[in-house]
Amino acid sequence: MENNQENKTETVVEVVEGGPLKITGNIIFQDIKRDIKVNVRELYLCRCGRSCNKPFCDDSHKK
Amino acid sequence: MIEKGRKSFSGGRRYRNEDITVYWKPDACVHASYCYRELIEVFDPGRRPWIDMEGASTEKIIEVVNMCPTEALTWKWNNPERNLEIGPDQTNHVIFRRPELAGDETEDTEVREKPVSVRIMYDGPIIIKGDFILKYGDNVREMKGGLISLCRCGLSNRMPFCDGTHRSTGFEDV
Repeated sequence: MENNQENKTETVVEVVEGGPLKITGNIIFQDIKRDIKVNVRELYLCRCGRSCNKPFCDDSHKK
Repeated sequence: MIEKGRKSFSGGRRYRNEDITVYWKPDACVHASYCYRELIEVFDPGRRPWIDMEGASTEKIIEVVNMCPTEALTWKWNNPERNLEIGPDQTNHVIFRRPELAGDETEDTEVREKPVSVRIMYDGPIIIKGDFILKYGDNVREMKGGLISLCRCGLSNRMPFCDGTHRSTGFEDV
Protein backbone atom coordinates (compact mmCIF):
# COMPACT_ATOMS: atom_id res chain seq x y z
CA MET A 1 0.00 0.00 0.00
CA GLU A 2 1.22 3.45 -0.83
CA ASN A 3 1.81 5.96 1.83
CA ASN A 4 0.51 9.33 0.75
CA GLN A 5 2.66 11.35 3.10
CA GLU A 6 5.90 9.82 1.90
CA ASN A 7 5.01 10.10 -1.75
CA LYS A 8 4.39 13.82 -1.57
CA THR A 9 7.08 15.86 -3.21
CA GLU A 10 7.89 18.74 -0.99
CA THR A 11 8.71 22.09 -2.44
CA VAL A 12 11.96 23.43 -1.06
CA VAL A 13 13.00 27.07 -1.21
CA GLU A 14 16.71 27.35 -0.51
CA VAL A 15 18.59 30.61 -0.14
CA VAL A 16 22.06 29.63 -1.37
CA GLU A 17 24.76 31.47 0.60
CA GLY A 18 26.43 33.92 -1.78
CA GLY A 19 24.35 32.51 -4.60
CA PRO A 20 20.88 32.32 -6.09
CA LEU A 21 17.52 31.27 -4.75
CA LYS A 22 17.04 27.60 -5.56
CA ILE A 23 13.49 26.29 -5.65
CA THR A 24 12.59 22.68 -6.33
CA GLY A 25 9.25 20.88 -6.27
CA ASN A 26 5.82 21.74 -7.57
CA ILE A 27 6.00 25.36 -8.66
CA ILE A 28 3.79 27.82 -10.50
CA PHE A 29 6.16 30.48 -11.68
CA GLN A 30 4.87 33.91 -12.67
CA ASP A 31 6.67 36.97 -13.93
CA ILE A 32 4.26 39.83 -14.54
CA LYS A 33 6.72 42.10 -16.33
CA ARG A 34 7.67 39.39 -18.83
CA ASP A 35 4.20 37.88 -19.03
CA ILE A 36 5.37 34.39 -18.01
CA LYS A 37 3.18 31.86 -16.21
CA VAL A 38 4.47 28.28 -16.20
CA ASN A 39 4.50 25.15 -14.12
CA VAL A 40 8.08 24.13 -13.36
CA ARG A 41 10.01 21.71 -11.13
CA GLU A 42 13.19 23.69 -10.64
CA LEU A 43 14.19 27.36 -10.58
CA TYR A 44 17.34 29.36 -9.92
CA LEU A 45 16.53 33.00 -9.33
CA CYS A 46 18.91 35.95 -9.11
CA ARG A 47 19.33 37.49 -5.64
CA CYS A 48 22.26 39.83 -6.26
CA GLY A 49 20.54 42.12 -8.77
CA ARG A 50 23.36 41.75 -11.30
CA SER A 51 22.17 38.93 -13.57
CA CYS A 52 21.90 39.75 -17.28
CA ASN A 53 19.18 37.14 -17.54
CA LYS A 54 16.79 38.36 -14.82
CA PRO A 55 14.89 37.05 -13.03
CA PHE A 56 17.12 34.00 -13.44
CA CYS A 57 20.62 33.52 -12.09
CA ASP A 58 23.43 33.64 -14.67
CA ASP A 59 26.31 33.34 -12.16
CA SER A 60 27.02 37.09 -12.31
CA HIS A 61 27.28 37.04 -8.48
CA LYS A 62 30.63 35.26 -8.83
CA LYS A 63 32.16 38.08 -10.86
CA MET B 1 -21.94 62.43 8.41
CA ILE B 2 -19.24 60.68 6.46
CA GLU B 3 -15.84 61.15 7.96
CA LYS B 4 -13.08 61.65 5.46
CA GLY B 5 -9.33 61.32 5.79
CA ARG B 6 -7.33 58.96 7.91
CA LYS B 7 -7.88 57.49 11.30
CA SER B 8 -6.01 54.94 13.35
CA PHE B 9 -7.10 51.48 14.36
CA SER B 10 -5.10 48.85 16.17
CA GLY B 11 -2.30 47.73 13.87
CA GLY B 12 -2.83 50.37 11.24
CA ARG B 13 -4.73 53.23 9.75
CA ARG B 14 -7.92 53.66 7.82
CA TYR B 15 -8.63 55.96 4.95
CA ARG B 16 -12.07 56.66 3.56
CA ASN B 17 -13.90 58.32 0.73
CA GLU B 18 -17.65 58.50 0.48
CA ASP B 19 -18.01 54.84 -0.67
CA ILE B 20 -15.34 52.72 0.95
CA THR B 21 -12.77 52.54 3.74
CA VAL B 22 -9.28 51.23 2.98
CA TYR B 23 -7.41 49.62 5.86
CA TRP B 24 -3.63 49.70 5.94
CA LYS B 25 -1.55 47.44 8.18
CA PRO B 26 2.11 48.34 7.68
CA ASP B 27 3.41 45.24 9.50
CA ALA B 28 1.77 42.97 6.93
CA CYS B 29 3.38 44.70 3.92
CA VAL B 30 5.92 42.63 1.97
CA HIS B 31 6.76 45.43 -0.48
CA ALA B 32 5.18 43.72 -3.46
CA SER B 33 4.65 47.28 -4.75
CA TYR B 34 1.46 46.64 -6.71
CA CYS B 35 -0.31 49.56 -5.08
CA TYR B 36 1.98 52.41 -6.05
CA ARG B 37 2.95 50.95 -9.42
CA GLU B 38 -0.67 50.67 -10.39
CA LEU B 39 -2.04 53.81 -8.80
CA ILE B 40 0.51 56.38 -7.64
CA GLU B 41 -2.25 59.02 -7.59
CA VAL B 42 -3.71 57.24 -4.56
CA PHE B 43 -0.83 55.20 -3.11
CA ASP B 44 2.29 57.35 -2.92
CA PRO B 45 4.88 56.10 -0.39
CA GLY B 46 6.70 59.42 -0.58
CA ARG B 47 3.69 61.51 0.46
CA ARG B 48 2.07 62.04 3.87
CA PRO B 49 -0.57 60.80 4.26
CA TRP B 50 0.53 58.22 1.72
CA ILE B 51 -3.01 57.23 0.69
CA ASP B 52 -5.16 59.87 -0.97
CA MET B 53 -8.67 58.52 -1.32
CA GLU B 54 -9.62 61.34 -3.66
CA GLY B 55 -6.88 60.42 -6.16
CA ALA B 56 -8.95 57.95 -8.20
CA SER B 57 -12.40 56.43 -8.53
CA THR B 58 -13.67 54.00 -5.90
CA GLU B 59 -13.75 51.29 -8.54
CA LYS B 60 -10.08 51.76 -9.38
CA ILE B 61 -9.06 51.87 -5.71
CA ILE B 62 -10.88 48.58 -5.07
CA GLU B 63 -9.18 46.99 -8.08
CA VAL B 64 -5.72 47.93 -6.83
CA VAL B 65 -6.37 47.04 -3.17
CA ASN B 66 -7.50 43.60 -4.39
CA MET B 67 -4.06 43.12 -5.97
CA CYS B 68 -2.30 43.35 -2.61
CA PRO B 69 -0.96 39.83 -1.91
CA THR B 70 -1.12 40.32 1.85
CA GLU B 71 -3.45 41.80 4.39
CA ALA B 72 -1.56 45.07 4.31
CA LEU B 73 -4.33 46.65 2.23
CA THR B 74 -7.96 45.66 2.59
CA TRP B 75 -11.21 47.50 2.04
CA LYS B 76 -14.84 47.61 3.08
CA TRP B 77 -17.94 49.46 1.91
CA ASN B 78 -19.00 52.25 4.23
CA ASN B 79 -22.58 51.10 3.89
CA PRO B 80 -22.69 47.91 6.01
CA GLU B 81 -25.48 46.44 3.89
CA ARG B 82 -23.35 46.49 0.77
CA ASN B 83 -20.72 44.41 2.55
CA LEU B 84 -23.16 41.51 2.65
CA GLU B 85 -23.26 41.41 -1.14
CA ILE B 86 -19.52 41.03 -1.58
CA GLY B 87 -18.45 38.15 -3.80
CA PRO B 88 -15.49 35.86 -3.14
CA ASP B 89 -13.70 37.41 -6.12
CA GLN B 90 -13.15 40.49 -4.00
CA THR B 91 -10.51 38.69 -2.03
CA ASN B 92 -8.99 41.63 -0.29
CA HIS B 93 -12.21 42.65 1.27
CA VAL B 94 -11.77 42.73 5.03
CA ILE B 95 -14.50 40.14 5.58
CA PHE B 96 -12.80 37.57 3.37
CA ARG B 97 -9.44 38.25 4.93
CA ARG B 98 -10.93 37.59 8.33
CA PRO B 99 -12.83 34.30 8.15
CA GLU B 100 -14.18 34.83 11.65
CA LEU B 101 -16.27 37.68 10.23
CA ALA B 102 -17.48 35.72 7.23
CA GLY B 103 -18.80 32.74 9.17
CA ASP B 104 -17.76 29.15 8.53
CA GLU B 105 -15.24 28.69 5.78
CA THR B 106 -14.46 25.16 4.77
CA GLU B 107 -10.80 24.32 5.03
CA ASP B 108 -9.26 23.31 1.74
CA THR B 109 -8.09 19.73 2.22
CA GLU B 110 -6.30 19.75 -1.12
CA VAL B 111 -3.90 22.39 0.11
CA ARG B 112 -0.88 20.08 0.21
CA GLU B 113 -1.42 19.16 -3.45
CA LYS B 114 -1.35 22.74 -4.58
CA PRO B 115 1.74 24.04 -6.31
CA VAL B 116 3.74 26.71 -4.58
CA SER B 117 3.30 30.10 -6.21
CA VAL B 118 6.52 31.95 -7.06
CA ARG B 119 5.92 35.45 -8.38
CA ILE B 120 8.44 37.97 -9.62
CA MET B 121 7.20 41.43 -8.74
CA TYR B 122 7.71 44.29 -11.18
CA ASP B 123 11.14 45.76 -10.28
CA GLY B 124 10.57 44.24 -6.87
CA PRO B 125 10.92 41.11 -4.75
CA ILE B 126 10.14 37.42 -5.24
CA ILE B 127 6.86 36.56 -3.52
CA ILE B 128 6.47 32.89 -2.55
CA LYS B 129 3.15 31.60 -1.32
CA GLY B 130 1.99 28.14 -0.25
CA ASP B 131 3.32 25.12 1.63
CA PHE B 132 7.06 24.76 1.39
CA ILE B 133 10.32 24.27 3.27
CA LEU B 134 12.41 27.41 3.57
CA LYS B 135 16.16 27.04 4.07
CA TYR B 136 18.44 29.99 4.72
CA GLY B 137 21.70 30.03 6.63
CA ASP B 138 21.26 27.42 9.37
CA ASN B 139 17.48 27.87 9.42
CA VAL B 140 15.01 25.31 8.14
CA ARG B 141 11.42 26.44 8.46
CA GLU B 142 8.31 24.61 7.42
CA MET B 143 5.91 27.10 5.93
CA LYS B 144 2.23 26.15 5.79
CA GLY B 145 0.12 28.57 3.85
CA GLY B 146 3.11 30.83 4.18
CA LEU B 147 3.92 34.01 2.34
CA ILE B 148 7.43 35.37 2.09
CA SER B 149 9.03 38.16 0.12
CA LEU B 150 12.68 37.72 -0.87
CA CYS B 151 15.18 40.36 -1.98
CA ARG B 152 16.13 40.49 -5.65
CA CYS B 153 18.11 43.74 -5.74
CA GLY B 154 20.91 42.48 -3.48
CA LEU B 155 20.68 45.50 -1.15
CA SER B 156 18.16 44.58 1.54
CA ASN B 157 19.19 45.14 5.15
CA ARG B 158 17.08 42.16 6.17
CA MET B 159 18.56 39.45 3.91
CA PRO B 160 17.33 37.21 2.49
CA PHE B 161 14.02 39.06 2.89
CA CYS B 162 12.87 42.17 1.08
CA ASP B 163 12.75 45.33 3.18
CA GLY B 164 11.61 47.70 0.44
CA THR B 165 15.12 49.07 -0.25
CA HIS B 166 14.69 48.45 -4.02
CA ARG B 167 12.35 51.41 -4.16
CA SER B 168 14.91 53.96 -2.95
CA THR B 169 17.84 52.50 -4.90
CA GLY B 170 15.89 52.37 -8.15
CA PHE B 171 16.39 48.65 -8.83
CA GLU B 172 15.33 47.97 -12.39
CA ASP B 173 14.44 44.57 -13.66
CA VAL B 174 16.17 44.68 -17.04
